[in-house]
Amino acid sequence: MKFLIAVGSKEFSEPTLRVGLQVAKAFKAAVTIVYAGPKISEFSTSQVRFTQERMEEWEFDRPGVEVLEWAFNFLAENDYITPTSIEAGFPKNTLVQTGGNRCEVYLQGTICKDVNLILRNGDIIAELRDEVRRGGYDVTIIGGSQKRRMAHDLIQYINSSIFVVNKYDQHQDYNLLLPVDDSTHTPKAVQYGARVAQAFDVKVNLITVSKTDSFGEGYTKASQLASKMMRRAGIAHEHRFETGDPVDVIKKTAGDNHIVVMGASTKNPLFKFFTGSKPLKVMEDCLCPILIVK
Amino acid sequence: MLNTFIYWLTQKRWLVFAIIVGILMYNISAPAGLSIEGYRTLIIVVMAIILIIFEPIPLPAVAMMILIMQVLLGIDTPNGVAKSFMSDAVFFIMGSLMLAVAIISQGLDSRLALGIIKLTGNKTWKIVIGFIAISAFLSSFIGEHTVTAMMMPVGLTLIKNSGVDNRSTAKLAGLILFSIAYGSAMGSIGTPSGGGRNVIMLGYMKEFGVVNISYLQWMKYAYPILLLEIPLAALILWYTFKPSQLILDSAVRKLKIHVTKRGSVSGNEILTILIFVFVFLGWVFFSSKVGLGIIALIGVFLYMSFGLIRWEDLNRNTNWGVIILFGAAVSLGLHMKDTGAAFWVADTAINWMKMISDDVSIIRWFVAVVLTGLLTNLLSNAATVAVIGPIVLNMGGDTLVMGFSTAIASAFAYLTVVASPTCMIIHSSGLVDKSDYLRAGWKMFIMSVFVLFFISNFW
Repeated sequence: MKFLIAVGSKEFSEPTLRVGLQVAKAFKAAVTIVYAGPKISEFSTSQVRFTQERMEEWEFDRPGVEVLEWAFNFLAENDYITPTSIEAGFPKNTLVQTGGNRCEVYLQGTICKDVNLILRNGDIIAELRDEVRRGGYDVTIIGGSQKRRMAHDLIQYINSSIFVVNKYDQHQDYNLLLPVDDSTHTPKAVQYGARVAQAFDVKVNLITVSKTDSFGEGYTKASQLASKMMRRAGIAHEHRFETGDPVDVIKKTAGDNHIVVMGASTKNPLFKFFTGSKPLKVMEDCLCPILIVK
Repeated sequence: MLNTFIYWLTQKRWLVFAIIVGILMYNISAPAGLSIEGYRTLIIVVMAIILIIFEPIPLPAVAMMILIMQVLLGIDTPNGVAKSFMSDAVFFIMGSLMLAVAIISQGLDSRLALGIIKLTGNKTWKIVIGFIAISAFLSSFIGEHTVTAMMMPVGLTLIKNSGVDNRSTAKLAGLILFSIAYGSAMGSIGTPSGGGRNVIMLGYMKEFGVVNISYLQWMKYAYPILLLEIPLAALILWYTFKPSQLILDSAVRKLKIHVTKRGSVSGNEILTILIFVFVFLGWVFFSSKVGLGIIALIGVFLYMSFGLIRWEDLNRNTNWGVIILFGAAVSLGLHMKDTGAAFWVADTAINWMKMISDDVSIIRWFVAVVLTGLLTNLLSNAATVAVIGPIVLNMGGDTLVMGFSTAIASAFAYLTVVASPTCMIIHSSGLVDKSDYLRAGWKMFIMSVFVLFFISNFW
């Protein structure tokens, strides 16, 4: 499996990196850490690039390199990269230009197979979309954003599962909330949920929500399968059936002390674009990390 | 598949919008008093403005669209469009971008750093005035982004050595970086060679039969504006980004150590300066005969002939897309004049102004200057002058004052990151925020308009 972790700054991205690597470890996935800097207007691309080259001669790194260096140090401190890589230090001189606005450096990972660091410039959604298309990533991990549009664009346009590490506090005890229904993505969400629960060593709260008092056969079967999988994996879990609006119930149950894992909507993309979807609505108002599985 | 299409549509929404606007306009009959060709030229102008501001497609693609539509809409013949595409102004833009690459590559920034520090000492306020004055002075001859590129490492050395982290130096960073960017922008009005749009305006003035201004005459009009703006800009920036570091003692010492490492001046550096002085003298004494663009190209030729710059480096670091776009914008401007579109827009604007007052002389001037200043913050300065120039020169009044003021106002690129390469260069350092541009920019904008008004009327 391949995970893409998007970081923005040293100040705010530590939880994203910490959680991302922990989950990647559980999946034994290859990890790429990407920093996307601001978009450079086409009127100025040559001038900006040229100035940055001049600044490198004065031993100033181009913007974003310090974020990658911080990520490297984080990987080193937590033994995610091999001692040889750590001893060699952050290899900023081997940042290879692999496209107009993309540089990358390769590191050898320990727990995760390969660890790549990538520097990009441009619109964050466009850059992540391109990176996912290019690298075929299974999960994209990103920090929470106050822009509501960001959640919409991530779910709509990024062709991988999305893990938004929203308001994560490493000192808080979390449980995992796994909404289960008869949708196509639920089985995969249950598999991912089990892995995440193992990574964080937390209890799983399975929840099936119906708008009416009756729960159809699909719902019951899905919840039985989910419970069975948790039991086989040896994960502590409990299952609840709730009645009400699924989005409201999930948000209320999640509070700020759950990691939510749920399947992506299977609605037509055009409907999703205009009317949104359940996962999107949960993601927009959620006060905790949420993984939308595609 | 559908999702990919939706994504494409959201990314290209301004392209779709521009096309819809174009189709709608095409299907409406031309307003009274405007020829069909003139109206179609305006359709291209509207579409091009939308596409340049929002950049949904690469800039060279916008340039190609302009050229293609001029032929397909029957505004001119293919040869006519091709002829209007290349002019001395475009030669100048191409030459000055290449000169910039040649000069910056020589590493003259270290010498510049030492010169500034010798002049200013280690007091922050003196350094700020020094940065603004030197950036302004240099950019009036060699182009704003060249100066910003050379001053950036000097400024960053001072900033990075003045505090423990970015937070403690945030205001100082704003102060120094905006001193460089705004100083360079202000300075670019000083001479015709300070910016491509000055040359574009000179070209239009020649086309419109306005009296020909020499290099030194331009300086005589423009330099007083520049000299007045320098202290005012320093005050504005100081009170907008008042730093806690009032003396940059250790930072200045570290800068001196860094510069000393470079050793004495090399032969290549001397030759670089000599060639530029030669180019400058050529602009002063021969530009009226051979054109500013040709002289800039002579400079590039000399830099390459003496082996000071390789073609590969020039080719890699020259923004060809911008050159093509400015060529197309100038072509569009000339067609606005030839088809009567510029006159119609100017006449309509004057009629609206007359609704406010019968005497439009002051309103006309303010509209031209403020509109140019605002558009330059969205479109880029050369494209603004290329489009606005022919309209302003048709507005009546003293065409020399109107044309000159428009060219000067196109340097008021203070409000947005995308206003000019200088603004984008300092933003790319990651040390100034988008909101900082408005914070300082609106004061700079108003100050510049009033200084220009004062000089236009009393000098």
